Amino acid sequence: MTSILCPEIPKPGFSFDNCQRNATLESKGFAVPKATKTGTTIVGIIYKDGVILGADTRATEDTTVADKNCEKIHFLAPNMYCCGAGTAADTEMTTQMISSKLELHRLFTNRVVRVCTANQMLKQYLFGYQGYIGAALILGGVDSTGPHLYSIYPHGSTDKLPYTTMGSGSLAAMAIFESRWKPDLTEEEGIQLIRDAIAAGIFNDLGSGSNVDVCVIRKGSVDYKRTYDEANKKGVRQASYRYPRGTTKVLDTKVFTVEETVHQLETESMDTA
Amino acid sequence: MSLSELCGMSDFDDKINSEYRGDLNTFCGNFTNNLELGVPPFSNPAKNFASVSKDEFGREIKIQFDHGTTTLGFMYQGGVVLAVDSRATGGQFIGSQTMKKIVEINDFLLGTLAGGAADCVYWDRVLAKQCRMYELRNRERISVAAASKLMSNMVYNYKGMGLSMGMMLAGWDKRGPQLYYIDSEGTRTPGKVFSVGSGSIYAFGVLDSGYKWDLTDEEAYDLGRRSIYHATHRDAYSGGIVRVYHMKNTGWVHIDNTDCMELHYKYQDEKLQKSNEIATK
Amino acid sequence: MSILGYNGGAMVAMKGDKCVSIAADKRFGIQAQTITCDFKKVFDMGPRLYVGLPGLATDVQTVMEKLRFRKNLYELKENRTMTPEVFGAMLSSMLYEKRFGPFFVEPVIAGLHPTTHEPFICNMDLIGCINQPDDFVVGGTASAQLYGMCEALWEPNLGPEDLFETTAQALINAFDRDAISGWGATVYIIEKDKVTVRDIKTRMD
Repeated sequence: MTSILCPEIPKPGFSFDNCQRNATLESKGFAVPKATKTGTTIVGIIYKDGVILGADTRATEDTTVADKNCEKIHFLAPNMYCCGAGTAADTEMTTQMISSKLELHRLFTNRVVRVCTANQMLKQYLFGYQGYIGAALILGGVDSTGPHLYSIYPHGSTDKLPYTTMGSGSLAAMAIFESRWKPDLTEEEGIQLIRDAIAAGIFNDLGSGSNVDVCVIRKGSVDYKRTYDEANKKGVRQASYRYPRGTTKVLDTKVFTVEETVHQLETESMDTA
Repeated sequence: MSLSELCGMSDFDDKINSEYRGDLNTFCGNFTNNLELGVPPFSNPAKNFASVSKDEFGREIKIQFDHGTTTLGFMYQGGVVLAVDSRATGGQFIGSQTMKKIVEINDFLLGTLAGGAADCVYWDRVLAKQCRMYELRNRERISVAAASKLMSNMVYNYKGMGLSMGMMLAGWDKRGPQLYYIDSEGTRTPGKVFSVGSGSIYAFGVLDSGYKWDLTDEEAYDLGRRSIYHATHRDAYSGGIVRVYHMKNTGWVHIDNTDCMELHYKYQDEKLQKSNEIATK
Repeated sequence: MSILGYNGGAMVAMKGDKCVSIAADKRFGIQAQTITCDFKKVFDMGPRLYVGLPGLATDVQTVMEKLRFRKNLYELKENRTMTPEVFGAMLSSMLYEKRFGPFFVEPVIAGLHPTTHEPFICNMDLIGCINQPDDFVVGGTASAQLYGMCEALWEPNLGPEDLFETTAQALINAFDRDAISGWGATVYIIEKDKVTVRDIKTRMD
């Protein structure tokens, strides 16, 4: 496809085209705008039958709450999920990319991909970028060797642990785990522990907030409980501040009608030559 | 007879521990002497203040005080006209659209504000006091020349320490109508046509093209209004309402306040009408 | 000041009942100086798909042209119109490609699904992190003010007429508190069978 007609087909990987210009702008005293961060409390535990992951749902841009209900538990593979903290775009894109690689790996090997494989892929990718990709992850899943839980740091180091927390609310959440986690928790106990840990983050860390998402991964089944608990119910607005029609003075109106176009395509016989 | 004496608090001072008195003197100096501002507690504040304007991570600490203005004043056969906008901004944020940027110092003296809002308001208040003191001591009104010199001398004491103000002083004294420009750098100069502030370049464009000595009163007000309006249209940090004042031999008169939005659509209609007339001819 | 504040601008998109709105101011300025009051910041990317690009004006136009190119190429290759979701994903990955040397735009997308006519809004940060709430999205230098206005004014299931009023008033009152956006505004109301574009009267200072 790449030809003189089509010079825009992007090369794979990051583009550094704007770097020089941006550095010049920065040196002239214009601050680079802040990217969305997840702030975040994310947690994971191993329980009797598998792994439970949990996350809050606040995304922040500097001091503003940019998203009140974002999804921080990302899909990696049918038997694996991954919580992301740090720069929101980085966690989102990194997990998406690894997810597609895992699927290709599954098709190639014709086996359920192991959690340690995903862990290795993530850490090698992050190590390659020396921490510049700001993704702090908690990877959890169940494979033929049992339940696994990893925490992965932006620079590429990993831990394999029975319970772990990450993000700005990790200290609050860890306090709950340290006092209450024990081996072979039941699913009910496990979910309650996760909820309490995330709630601790939501209430005690300014970077975390809104709802609790929980994801239970057992052998052969997954239970993704989006908005498992609304830690802070928003009050219902009593009055309506709706402006009466005609408040806004209109200088000029243009109406474009959108026509429904149905393309009748002639059926073409398959080329079997 | 101060209030504390009336209330029988003459011995109040003795009750205050002497170390508190030291603090009072250091930090509330301008209560007793308003010419004296508290300076940062280190040597050569003019130079060393910059060192505390960054936090421990080297990031600039935001001190965004209200700024940005268009003000103008000019003399003509009928006296002095002052016109100002009314927007106060802190960084990009519009803090007020109705700020009074003309200070009525007394019946024959007006001052305009541009630059740091707090600096201007404070020093104008001090100037008003000084002018009143002069009146009481000498049984006659202070001349504009003297008032402007008082102002310029006061702020000169703090030159280089971060004061930011550019003001015009308009008045009518024994020698007739007067207009002075004073700023925090120490400049003080009389003149016929001035414009001060971030929008002044735009205001000057209109003002200079329409200015002549023989303007009628109405023409003069309209010239002032138009100049400020065009400045508010082009300059992001000017806007709100246009206030016009006229300094006459009988003292100042407040002519009117007009919303810039109203002015914009009025001028637009006039322009349209004019071009229609030309087209029909 | 941040680079996004070099040219200024404010933008908002809202979901309504079977319709969406997107609105932007019209100022193009360089810091304090207003250059023109008829700058286009919202672009049509299909009959019912609009993208607003607040930020650095040079990048606004570059990103718009790159987007249009890629969208056209997709539609020619696939022989079908792009859905808002796909368009969002395309823009997101385009911005993330420049993760370490970004374009200074914070896009806002509003549109209806070409076949189901399902309302869609989303915005993203300058490196393509998608945010897809079910009420409203904002962008630009007056975004703090816009968040406040929208939280107060938005309500579910607004019809096209009320959605116009709500969007317009949210935008006007937000940028009236921002020095570097305003100077006229355009509101787009996107419905199944028509798109209404209104220029509205605002303060010009």
